[in-house]
Amino acid sequence: MQIGLADRHRQSKAERATHAAIPWGRLLPVLTLILFLLGWEAVVRLGAYPAFILPSPARVAEKFVAVALDGTLWRHLGVTLVEVLGGLAIGVSLAVVLGYAVAKSVAIERALSPYLVASQAIPIVAIAPLLVIWFGPGLLSKVLVSALIVFFPILVNTIAGVRGVSQDLRDLMRSLQATPWQVFTKLEVPAAMPVLLAGLKVGATLSVIGAVVGEFAGSDAGLGFMINLADGQYDTARVFVGVLALIMLALSLYGAVGLLEKRALRWREAGK
Amino acid sequence: MAYRLTLPILILITTLTLAACAPQQGANPAGALSAASDDEPTKVVISIGYIPDIQFAPYYVGIEKGFFAERGIDLVIQHRQETDGARLLGTGEIKFAVLSGEQVLLARQQGLPLVYFFAWYQQFPVAVAAKADSGINSIEDLAGRSVGTPVKEGASYIGLEALLGAAGLTDDDIDLQTTGYAQVETLLTDRVDSVVVYVANEPVHLEAAGEEIVLLPVSDYANLVSNGLITNENVIKNEPELVRAMAEAFAESLRYATDHPDEAFEMSKKFVEGLNDPANEDIAREVLARSTELWQGERYGMSNPEAWENMQEVLLSIGLLDSPLDLEQAYTNEFVP
Repeated sequence: MQIGLADRHRQSKAERATHAAIPWGRLLPVLTLILFLLGWEAVVRLGAYPAFILPSPARVAEKFVAVALDGTLWRHLGVTLVEVLGGLAIGVSLAVVLGYAVAKSVAIERALSPYLVASQAIPIVAIAPLLVIWFGPGLLSKVLVSALIVFFPILVNTIAGVRGVSQDLRDLMRSLQATPWQVFTKLEVPAAMPVLLAGLKVGATLSVIGAVVGEFAGSDAGLGFMINLADGQYDTARVFVGVLALIMLALSLYGAVGLLEKRALRWREAGK
Repeated sequence: MAYRLTLPILILITTLTLAACAPQQGANPAGALSAASDDEPTKVVISIGYIPDIQFAPYYVGIEKGFFAERGIDLVIQHRQETDGARLLGTGEIKFAVLSGEQVLLARQQGLPLVYFFAWYQQFPVAVAAKADSGINSIEDLAGRSVGTPVKEGASYIGLEALLGAAGLTDDDIDLQTTGYAQVETLLTDRVDSVVVYVANEPVHLEAAGEEIVLLPVSDYANLVSNGLITNENVIKNEPELVRAMAEAFAESLRYATDHPDEAFEMSKKFVEGLNDPANEDIAREVLARSTELWQGERYGMSNPEAWENMQEVLLSIGLLDSPLDLEQAYTNEFVP
């Protein structure tokens, strides 16, 4: 059945009416958060948990403000951010290059696949101390841990994205006598981008974990270091502040990739 | 629309229900020694940091020789992070832990009611080690040089601060780096000029690697409280006989391990993987020998008030303690046999 213009107009009007009836729907995540915080506070009070076991939300908030105001939080956050960005840069670059090569060459796939899969099986927690020994306790070891944890998801998504390009489109490009560079830039990159960016979203959050694991193994700055130090002083509220900062960092990176995705894939919306 | 609220409300109800079912803070079930029949030793958990190691030989000796069992204690060792052990002890989940003395003060600052009742180490076991040809022969020589500490907290870091303080130095006078627990490798590869070590452990490994080292022990410069047996205020109040039994059993274990090192080593093989490997034996025996030296004092278990005052002073000076604590609440010699 064909849908006429009048039907489309009625539909969009109905949708607008529905949205207008539930503007408070946007507040639901906030309501959920408030309920969660109230539940947390209730657990602390009813269970009479001491602060060194489970600090109340109020105590955590108070500690958060104190650590933010005295600059400690930003200093450590800055260090972890540098490690994360470095890890992403190295991990993503290596994974995209290797992923493209594996996707295009059966010989390379056969030569490298077992080892690439094995790289995923490496327990990061076990290897992080070794990286500190080999590369020192400075920035590099943390960047490498972060890169290691990011590598595999990006690699897999790159391979899937490149291989997912429709053969019909490849044939079309060939019929138009496109050069390999034109096939790469005009077809493979745009076609693989949605899958690649989906992998990057996962990688961005994983990179934060990698940086923190590296800091736990040996560091003197960063959110992981701050958490370790707070744990050593039984300051559980400060541990929570560190965890909260890590969550915010991971969410920010996820959002940044989301924005990048929106921008990079505008052509998909334009085509609709 | 209503269904979207169902889940959060469900979570809240669940949370409140769980909270209502939560055990009361500091609950202390019937005293351990009386819970079981008179013939059966009662299971008592002790939390020890690090991993099973020859340094914990007195505990293994005490279990194997029955020194704990004959006092009604079936001692169960659980290894975990030192701070986790302190937290479990603070909530009453366990009754005993082995911690370094400064952990008691740091924990009490945060409200954990820990009490140190038996001084195991009579000398603080931390030192700074450097290669013999590094030119570092005294604390003053550390000025301007790099010093690697495993972490910037705990006995290692606090020992370093005490050492620097003894020479009028601070962190600003050295190039302080964090190495993780890889001090041996870090020093051998010259990543740093010196490292903070446990006197009985890393130096043995460095020497076994053929490295001639200089050792600057903290105990040569400062008397600080070190590793000991810890309980909490509830256990002391409600089960003093259990605490006394632990102290007596451990003192006997310590004495036996000191007087019979070969036997202690053999008994430890059951508890420490790798001790059976001949490649590890010489190093492990040396670690045990050097550890034993650190346990010796005028009387096993006695805490030195000066050592506690000094430790508090160090913690205050480096900002880990906000204000002085009542040290008489933090330790006791009441149960020392």
